[in-house]
Amino acid sequence: MPRERSARESVTARWTVRAATLGLALVGALLLARGVAASNAAVGLSEASRDALAIPRWLYVATGGAAIGASALLAGFVTDRGFVERVHGWRRDLSAGGRGRTLATAVGAIVGLVLLALVVYRGIAGPQLSTINFAVVVVFAGGRAGLTMAAYAVGNAWPALNPARTLSSRLPNGFLTYPDRLGRWPAAAGILLLVWIETTTGVTDTPRTLATFAAAYVALSVVGAVLVGGDAWFRNVDPVATFFRFYGRVAPLAWEGGRLRASLPAMRLVEIDERSESVAGQSEPGGDARTAAEGTAATDGSGTTRQRLVTGLGDVAVAVALVWELTFSGFVTTEQGAATVRAVASVGLPPMLVYAALFLGGFAAFYGAYLTAAHVSVRRVLTTRTPRELAVAFAPPLVVVAAGYHLAHYFAFFLSLSPSLTAVLADPLSAPTNPIVLTLPAWVSALNIAFVLGGHLVAIWVAHSIAYRLFPSRLQAIRSQYPFVFVMIGYTVASLWLISLPTATPAFLG
Amino acid sequence: MTDTHVADTDDDRAERADHVCADCGRRFYTEDLLVLHRGVTHPEALDAAERDAYREAYAAEERAIRSFRLRALGILVLLYFGFLFLYVIYAS
Repeated sequence: MPRERSARESVTARWTVRAATLGLALVGALLLARGVAASNAAVGLSEASRDALAIPRWLYVATGGAAIGASALLAGFVTDRGFVERVHGWRRDLSAGGRGRTLATAVGAIVGLVLLALVVYRGIAGPQLSTINFAVVVVFAGGRAGLTMAAYAVGNAWPALNPARTLSSRLPNGFLTYPDRLGRWPAAAGILLLVWIETTTGVTDTPRTLATFAAAYVALSVVGAVLVGGDAWFRNVDPVATFFRFYGRVAPLAWEGGRLRASLPAMRLVEIDERSESVAGQSEPGGDARTAAEGTAATDGSGTTRQRLVTGLGDVAVAVALVWELTFSGFVTTEQGAATVRAVASVGLPPMLVYAALFLGGFAAFYGAYLTAAHVSVRRVLTTRTPRELAVAFAPPLVVVAAGYHLAHYFAFFLSLSPSLTAVLADPLSAPTNPIVLTLPAWVSALNIAFVLGGHLVAIWVAHSIAYRLFPSRLQAIRSQYPFVFVMIGYTVASLWLISLPTATPAFLG
Repeated sequence: MTDTHVADTDDDRAERADHVCADCGRRFYTEDLLVLHRGVTHPEALDAAERDAYREAYAAEERAIRSFRLRALGILVLLYFGFLFLYVIYAS
C-alpha cells in the first residue's frame, strides 16, 4: 500500500518537475530573445558591419543547444558496455620514468624559480607598460593562457614549475594537520577570489601591482605549505595548483604509478569504479567516511591507482567555478556586459557591488543548477544513490566543458600575443622595442564555436561512461543523464551567446 | 543530533529498497536491478541460476533499449527537420 502511494507521489513529482523544466525553458527562451533584441538596439549599426553571422542570434544559440541535446541522445545509442570501457580504459606506456622524470622535475623547479624572480624584478623595475612588460606577458599570455592550454592538451607541468612547492619542500613542514572537513572549499573560494582580483584590480595592466601580488602569493603559499604540509596545502587550499590539477586531468599524458602513460583525451576523468569503492564516502555520516572519501581509483584494468579528482562537494564547486569564471570574464568584457553593468550602476549602486553581486550570484546559479540536476536525476531513476553521490560522480565532465570554454576564450589571445611572449622570454632583461601583436584572420574566431561545442560533446561522452559505471541498468544510465544534459544546454547557450557578442575592451593587456 | 537524523532518513529510504546484494551490500528497489547489478559488478560470483536470470534481465533490458532508440530517433528526426525549416525561414 505505501509502495503504491509512493509510486503515485513519484509520478506527480515527475510531472511537477517536467512542468517546471518547461516553464524554465520558456522563461529562458524569452529572456534570451529579449536580451538579444535589447542588445542589438544598444550596439546599433556599428555591430552590423562586423557581425559575421548571417542568421539571427537566437537561431545560432538554439542550434548549439540542440547539438548538445542531439549528441546526448546519440550517445544513448551506444549501449555496448565493453566498448564504453575500452574507450576510457585505453592506455599506452610511454616511459618508465626514473631518471628522465627526476631530471625534468629538477629543470622545472629551476625554471619556475627563475621565472618567478624575473616576474617580480621586471614587474617592478621594467617599463610600466603592460604589452611589453615581462611580468604581465608571462603571467597572462604565458601562464593563464599558454600553460593552462598545455595543461589540458598535453599534460600538467605546474607541479614541477610551482616555485612555492620547490621552496616549501626544502623547509621543515607539517606543523598543523589540515582540517579535512574543509575539503576543497578553500581552493574553490581561492579560485573565485583570484578571478575577482584579475577582473577588478589593476593586475592586468599595472606590472608593479602584478609583481607585488605574485610575490605575496608565493610567500603566502610557502607559509601555508610549511604550516600544513605541502601535499595538503597544494591539494586543498592553493587555488593555482588546484586550477592546474583539474585541467591537467583532461590531458592525454600523465604520470601513473611512476610511469608516463597516454590515454585518450579526457578519458582519465572516468574514475568511478563501483567494484572497488563507494562513490562519495559520505552516504553514511561520520568521520571515517570522510577519510574514505579521499579515495584512489583505478581508471583502467592495470591496477595502478591514483587519487580521485572529485571526492566531495568542494571539488564540485571547483569544477563549477572553472566553468563560471570563464563565462563571467566573457560577459563583463562584451559591450552588452559593460552596458548592463553601467545601466545598473547608473541607478546609484557602486559598480564594485554590481560586479560582486553578478560574480557571486552567477556562480551560485551555476552551482545551484548543477545540484538541482543531481536531485532531479535521483528522483527520475529508481536508485538508492543520493543526490550528493551523483553530483560528485558527474562533476569531472564539467572540467572538459571548462577546457572548451578556456580554449574559446584564450586561443586567439594566445596566438596573437605569442610573438611578444617569445620576445620577452628570449631577452627578459630588456623590453622589446618593437612588440609584434599578430592580427588573426576572421576564421579563427569561428573556431571558438567549435571549441565550446567540442568541450560539451566530449563531456557528454565522459558522463555517459561514468553513468555506465554507476548504474546496473543501461536505461537507468541513459535516463540519469537527462537533467544534466539540460544544465549543459543552459551552459552552452550562455557561452555561445557570449562569444557571439562584440568585445568592449580587450580582455587583458588592454 | 543532525547526524542521527540523517542516518534515520537514510535507513528509511533504504528499507523500501529491500533487494540487497550479498557481495557488496548495495540495495536496489527491484529484483531486476539487483540481478543486473550482480551480473555487471560481480560476474565471477554468480551461480548457474543467477547467470540465467542475468541473461534474461539483460534480454529484457535490450528490448527496452530498442524502444528507447526508436523514440530517440523520432526526436532526432523532429529536431533535424524542425531546424531545417527554421533555417529556411530565418536564414537568408
